[in-house]
Amino acid sequence: MAKILYLIFGMFVLVLYTSAAWFGWELANSGSKSRLGVPFFYSGFRGGK
Amino acid sequence: MSVLAANCPSCAAPIEFKKGSTLVLVCPYCRSAIARTDRKLEDLGKVAEIADSQSPLKLGLKGEFKGNKFELTGRAQLKHELGGYWDEWYATFSNGWVGWLAEAQGRFYMTFFQPIPAGAALPGFDEIEVGKYVPQIPSDGPLMVLEKGVATAVAADGEIPYQLVPNEQSRYADLSGTGDQFATIDYSMSPPWVFLGKQVTLEEIGLGDARPVQREARRTTAAGMGCPNCGGPLSLTAPDKAERVSCPNCSSLLDVNQGNLKYFKALEPCPTSDQFLLKVGQEGTFPGDVKFRIIGRMVRSVTIDGTTYYWHEYLLYNPMVGFRWLVHSDNHWNFVEPVNPAEVEMPAAIGSGARAGYNGHSFKIFQDAPASVRYVDGEFYWRVEQGETVRAVDYVAAPLMLSQEMTPGEMNWSAGVYMTNDEVEKIFGVSGLPRPWGIAPNQPFTASWYYTWGAIPLLLLVIVGIFMLPLSGSTTTVLSQKMELPPMANATQPQAVFSQQFELKANRNVRIRANAPVSNSWADLDVDLINDQSQEVESVNVPIEYYSGTDSDGAWTEGNQTEDATVSSLPAGKYTLRVEGTWQNWQQSMPVSVSVAQGVNRGVNFFCAFLVLLIVPVIGLIRKVSFESRRWSESMFSSSGGE
Repeated sequence: MAKILYLIFGMFVLVLYTSAAWFGWELANSGSKSRLGVPFFYSGFRGGK
Repeated sequence: MSVLAANCPSCAAPIEFKKGSTLVLVCPYCRSAIARTDRKLEDLGKVAEIADSQSPLKLGLKGEFKGNKFELTGRAQLKHELGGYWDEWYATFSNGWVGWLAEAQGRFYMTFFQPIPAGAALPGFDEIEVGKYVPQIPSDGPLMVLEKGVATAVAADGEIPYQLVPNEQSRYADLSGTGDQFATIDYSMSPPWVFLGKQVTLEEIGLGDARPVQREARRTTAAGMGCPNCGGPLSLTAPDKAERVSCPNCSSLLDVNQGNLKYFKALEPCPTSDQFLLKVGQEGTFPGDVKFRIIGRMVRSVTIDGTTYYWHEYLLYNPMVGFRWLVHSDNHWNFVEPVNPAEVEMPAAIGSGARAGYNGHSFKIFQDAPASVRYVDGEFYWRVEQGETVRAVDYVAAPLMLSQEMTPGEMNWSAGVYMTNDEVEKIFGVSGLPRPWGIAPNQPFTASWYYTWGAIPLLLLVIVGIFMLPLSGSTTTVLSQKMELPPMANATQPQAVFSQQFELKANRNVRIRANAPVSNSWADLDVDLINDQSQEVESVNVPIEYYSGTDSDGAWTEGNQTEDATVSSLPAGKYTLRVEGTWQNWQQSMPVSVSVAQGVNRGVNFFCAFLVLLIVPVIGLIRKVSFESRRWSESMFSSSGGE
């Protein structure tokens, strides 16, 4: 059962990745004010407001 | 010689030598062995009755071997020097062949006389060694000596093609080779004769329909053949094969001699002799629909570094299949069957890292220790006794285990396969067997799907990722412009400028890259992508900072004068950038270069998906390493590492 559930989850991730690649979605957005929120990779910026 | 009808020289009853090759006939009336010579019939003496047997074979049975029909016309019963009997059936073939169908411990061997090439001389009985090959025998592969011993002809029936003299002893050596080859060297002749053939199944020789003699377990009585020590009744499931039996009434160990019981010694209890989980007499249906009955059980032990480890073994018997073992150790179970030693690729030396091969599997050495019998219950096909010790070497390739047991005169190999408690419970129709503890030497790792099935989505992701590379297209720059932010009114009041209009396509991500010539300072840019038709705004932050200097380690830099931010695709249309910034040297203007690109292949999506899908396989590998580490921590060769 766990095997099947994991395969379903794996297929979901795969479909999500394929869709993102096809539609130009960024799953990890690097703009801190972007629609998808917090940047995935924080630059460690020390200045700014 | 031809068919001969005559009268028994012993009892005068009519007898008939039906087969031309028959030399000795057992008179069915007086059981005298009658030999025919050129001139007369000779009485060789009386032979004993064939011991009770569950053998599926009987005189007159007809079969076929390699396309040639045969009939079982005679039977000789021989006794092993260490006790135990086996049957040799005389097979008369329609084409004139004379074969021997030996039946021992439920296994069958069809052999034929094999002449030795001129000039070749077989090693003498004293020279032949267990475990060594005998290349002088012409065969399809090397033949290894499994056993050497002395046999006594104790009983016979029907017609026999050689001069069988009752109670005459003969020396022999049994050999086996790959492909079920089997051979016997008969040292009663000079020079010795070789009988070569192979191990066969009853199905192979057209006797698959033969059924074992169905008889109730022989129940001896107190008056007749009960326990000679206490007189209590005893049951024998395999009276023709049993050599030792324990008395459940007085805990004596008894010798069995053709069904007759003789007191041997009293059994001494051992620490775990009361911890058997299955009973003698219990029957179980094993995979393949093979029914075995437990006819004996024993406690064995090894002592390693002063600690004694006990386990329990159950002797299983099926007249059609022979003997098997069910081994119970630390509540783990193994079904064990004998293997042909010639099929085993033995290691050059027994020691750390040694490997043995069998049936396409490579087994790694796990343990090498003297194993002793500590307690027995039920009946056994050899003269078992408490304290009997063999050198036991175990090799593992989970879920299989290959075991070698050696004494100076004999070497046996057996293969075990791990069984779960659920399987054992189902086989014997029991429930509540205690759960195992620890990791068994050959316990299979059952969570391997973590990195087998778990790798499938990962593999698919890599394939899709490679496939998507050309589809995602090449990076297209849609805007590249230099702008200048005027000096700020104060340190917190940002300045903003607008770019020229540019066009974005749908379904492609958008990267905004900004460059500011900062040096040991910073500039923080908020960039708005404004859809000129809908006025919708997508905002990103592009922080820029660049520091450099020298210290005791030399020159250093930190940050970059160019930074970017990437956002998901936006609706197609015309857009304008609004760049709003603050910077450290606010009194001065800030020149900024901005570019907008689409269809940027960053790999972050792939990396994220890969990372998510890697979690389960990595957990699986960690569990596997931990499992193997626990398994091999129990091995006396653990320093050689796990698999």
